[in-house]
Amino acid sequence: MNILTLLIFIPALFGLLILALPASLKQSFKYITLAATLIQLGLSIWLYINFQTGAAFGGINHESQFQFVQKISWISLDLGTAGRMQVDYFVGVDGISILLLVMTAVVMVIAVLASWEIKHNLKGFFVLFLLLDMAVAGVFCALDFFLFYLFYELMLLPLYFLIGIWGGVRREYAAIKFFLYTLFGSVFMLLIMVGLYLSVTDPATGNHTFNIVQMMNPANYQQGSVFSIFSHQTLFGIPARVLAFVVLFIAFAIKVPVVPLHTWLPDAHVEAPTPVSIILAGVLLKIGGYGIIRICIGIFPEVAYQGAYWLGLLGVVSILYGALNALAQRDLKRLIAYSSVSHMGFVLLGLASQTAEGVSGAMMQMISHGFLSSMLFFLVGVIYTRVHDRDIYNFRGLATVNPQYTTYVMIAFFASLGLPGFSAFIAEAFSLTGAFKSELIPNWMAVCGSIGILLSAAYFLWTLQRMFFGKELLKGGDSWKQALTGLKLREKLALFPLAVLALVLGIMPSLVFSKINDSVLALVEFTKQMVR
Amino acid sequence: MQQVPPYLTQQLDDVMSSLLVFKPELCLAGLFLLVLGIDLIYRKNSGKACRMLGCAGMLLVLAADLGQYLIFKEQGRFLFINNLILNHDNIVLKMIIDAVTFTLLVYFPWDHQLKTHKKGLGDAYTIIIASVLGLHLMVMSATLLTMFLSIEMVSIASYLLVAYRTESNFSAEAALKYVLFGMAASAVMLYGISLFYGFSGSINLYHPHMVANLQAADPTVIVLAVVLILAGIGFKLSFVPLHFWVPDVYQGASTPVTAYLSTLPKIAGFGLLVTFLRPFMFNPTWSRFDFTLILSIAAIVTMIAGNFAAIWQQNVKRILAYSSVGHTGFALMAIVTFTPQSMGALSFYLIVYAIANIGVLGLATYFANAMQAHTVNDYKGLGTKYPIASVCFVVLLISLTGIPVSAGFNAKVLVFSSVYEVYQHGHKGIMLALLVTGAVTTVVSLFYYLKIPLNLFLRKEDTVRNHYPAVSKDLLVMIVILSLIVVLLGIFPDALANLL
Repeated sequence: MNILTLLIFIPALFGLLILALPASLKQSFKYITLAATLIQLGLSIWLYINFQTGAAFGGINHESQFQFVQKISWISLDLGTAGRMQVDYFVGVDGISILLLVMTAVVMVIAVLASWEIKHNLKGFFVLFLLLDMAVAGVFCALDFFLFYLFYELMLLPLYFLIGIWGGVRREYAAIKFFLYTLFGSVFMLLIMVGLYLSVTDPATGNHTFNIVQMMNPANYQQGSVFSIFSHQTLFGIPARVLAFVVLFIAFAIKVPVVPLHTWLPDAHVEAPTPVSIILAGVLLKIGGYGIIRICIGIFPEVAYQGAYWLGLLGVVSILYGALNALAQRDLKRLIAYSSVSHMGFVLLGLASQTAEGVSGAMMQMISHGFLSSMLFFLVGVIYTRVHDRDIYNFRGLATVNPQYTTYVMIAFFASLGLPGFSAFIAEAFSLTGAFKSELIPNWMAVCGSIGILLSAAYFLWTLQRMFFGKELLKGGDSWKQALTGLKLREKLALFPLAVLALVLGIMPSLVFSKINDSVLALVEFTKQMVR
Repeated sequence: MQQVPPYLTQQLDDVMSSLLVFKPELCLAGLFLLVLGIDLIYRKNSGKACRMLGCAGMLLVLAADLGQYLIFKEQGRFLFINNLILNHDNIVLKMIIDAVTFTLLVYFPWDHQLKTHKKGLGDAYTIIIASVLGLHLMVMSATLLTMFLSIEMVSIASYLLVAYRTESNFSAEAALKYVLFGMAASAVMLYGISLFYGFSGSINLYHPHMVANLQAADPTVIVLAVVLILAGIGFKLSFVPLHFWVPDVYQGASTPVTAYLSTLPKIAGFGLLVTFLRPFMFNPTWSRFDFTLILSIAAIVTMIAGNFAAIWQQNVKRILAYSSVGHTGFALMAIVTFTPQSMGALSFYLIVYAIANIGVLGLATYFANAMQAHTVNDYKGLGTKYPIASVCFVVLLISLTGIPVSAGFNAKVLVFSSVYEVYQHGHKGIMLALLVTGAVTTVVSLFYYLKIPLNLFLRKEDTVRNHYPAVSKDLLVMIVILSLIVVLLGIFPDALANLL
């Protein structure tokens, strides 16, 4: 049994188990889910440890350099004169995906720990949760576009219900907005996928293929096909490859989210229950970033190269716009949602630079933000479940009410604003270094990125001052004070590892860089090669 | 003794040999007489017997189809002196029709409203089986005459079924509308056919001179004739602008009849359209009428009109009516490319559409039986009360939308890739427009399909009810099976698609 396959489908197995159990055992569902995610975490750590590094394991455009690969023929359709339609069940990881997989496994455990607050309809919740877990793991492992798309879309429905059933007051609106936004992006991705499939042939079998790695090799494109790099075809008067890149980029940019396609995010994050917010911010946003690296830049590197200016610009706009919006929020969850927009902008900026530093920074930012945003949303969940309020101005002097909680908040805030010693600092520093060094994007973009860091310090510190310092003053009076004291063991169990991870990755970034470095170099080299 | 003319023996031989491969239709004719006889003898109590006999008979017909399928895998042939054409594509369609009929026969008595009808259901089964004979002839017809006769055969059966239960004014009105529009469409088509015959001198579509003679005639009249014939077929397929009858009739008819109307005549209509188009599509000299362009435009308009109109509907059956118009548009997309690959895609699309649509209408019956729920508002909060049915509803709607993992998604991919393939060779802008419209309307369709899960799961009931009547398990079992098929075809589409 392939370990990646195991990793992907273990949640599904546990989900079936929950489905089969009677409702009378509903108190056990959360433990079953926790077990599933812990097994996943164990497997992913095993993967991390056994992941080989070195130039021979760069991955990206070399199928043989992927690790833990499983490739079996899955759908084989005879299409008569058009040849055979070849879809493989093809999973494997390289440096780009391995750490995102580990990060996902950690975030999923945290999300289950946050699910203790879910009180009604437990069976539905945990089954959908595990389905989502499976889809997310599948997205990071899939190397066949068809399979990737399947998992990608499979995330939508569970999320729609998770937000729509267990969400806040405006959950209906938030859920449908999220669903329509994402589907709008992905339907057009489907068109490009079909087009790519008909342009690319597998050199080994001569069939059309959905294999992403094969799509990266210009020699595999049929002569005269729409997306061939040599045929310079146009669609609606736009060069076909540019159009394809733009369409795919929009699909992933909706996920990231990149301003101006971000408007679903504040609604979805705010209305979603805490565990779903954690997954949304911690994992789903990274799927956008991962898609841009693997699919957009991987298949259309020369377009990414030409369009680096625009990618960088969108990144900078996201950083600044997200940060300015965060400054204006009075709902703590909304503030953190906008801070996500701002932080994910660094990913785009780093990718646009197309230097080893920038891409490493972007990868690091995705991993660091995965842990930190989970922590932030968990922390919001802690007070929200207790007093059902999260308006910043309804709290004051929380530091005296609950010093333990405040400590974690301070760690999370300082780590997020990029204090040296924490993971986000490394990530943002590398992204900005890449942006300064790159010849593709002007220096003022990097400068604006630095201003973004300043702004994030402003909104985090200001929030800290408003909510946690000063004289103790709570809207709900003594009853709130009672509710807000202390932290449960479960909450500590979730928060402590995240705080440690943020610190450890800040002090020893090599834990990440050593694993991703070969793939990052391979990606940068591959892009340069293609442009030449 | 007078000498027998030489062509007579030849024609007799042809008829005799045709009869040998005409088994499914002969079975259907026998089955029809048998069911009719039982219905006449046992009168009101005949329902059960007729249904059992009908189902068993349909299985027999399917077996006979299978025989044809195996024989005519590579090459087709003409039957009865070039009146009918038999080839791989239309045998597949016939099998789809028979399988769908079987499901419908099983499903019919599970609708409470239909079951309580005082006439009993024996007549309905007789009518359905007679109509299936017509449907078979429709997909096989190679002459203008058989085309018209078979369409009429199906139409008359449909009129009877729609008017089967007309207690309310609304359904009586719907039935009358359907009959009147249907008659008008037939008349229009007949006029087109007569023009065709007049100019070509033959009723045989595959006659060598057919296309050539039409090509030589006055172009304006030929265009008129083609438009008239397409209008007749379009009425059955319900593409825009001939869709106006659909919402009222689908809503007014009893739900199983809606399931019948939205699948069988449509599938056969596509078969008929394909056989009608084939002589023109494969004749390079034909230039009087650009079928590709006109049908593409019809497809685009149909997709847009059907899907957008559905957004504002509240009644579940009405939503499904508009959605089925939208699906017609999408399936037309597969026809306009007219490659062997797209025929396979069309068959796959039609199967998947039929399964999902019957399943969804079965669920409409289910909720009507249980809670008298007809509009999306009536569905509020029922998701947790009827969990299995509601989950199946979501699965089937996902398939109709075309989101993975479902059969509908694979059908969509197949259609898209067949259109893309043609675009890659010809670079016609209209193909690109088709693709983009298909994608956009998918997003639009999500909007109204999601209304149902939205009300089932996300909303709470307006009034608290204590009693949730149990509903018979049979219908639920059928729905679960259909949902499972949808999911399995979503994961392993090649199991079916390689057979088409």
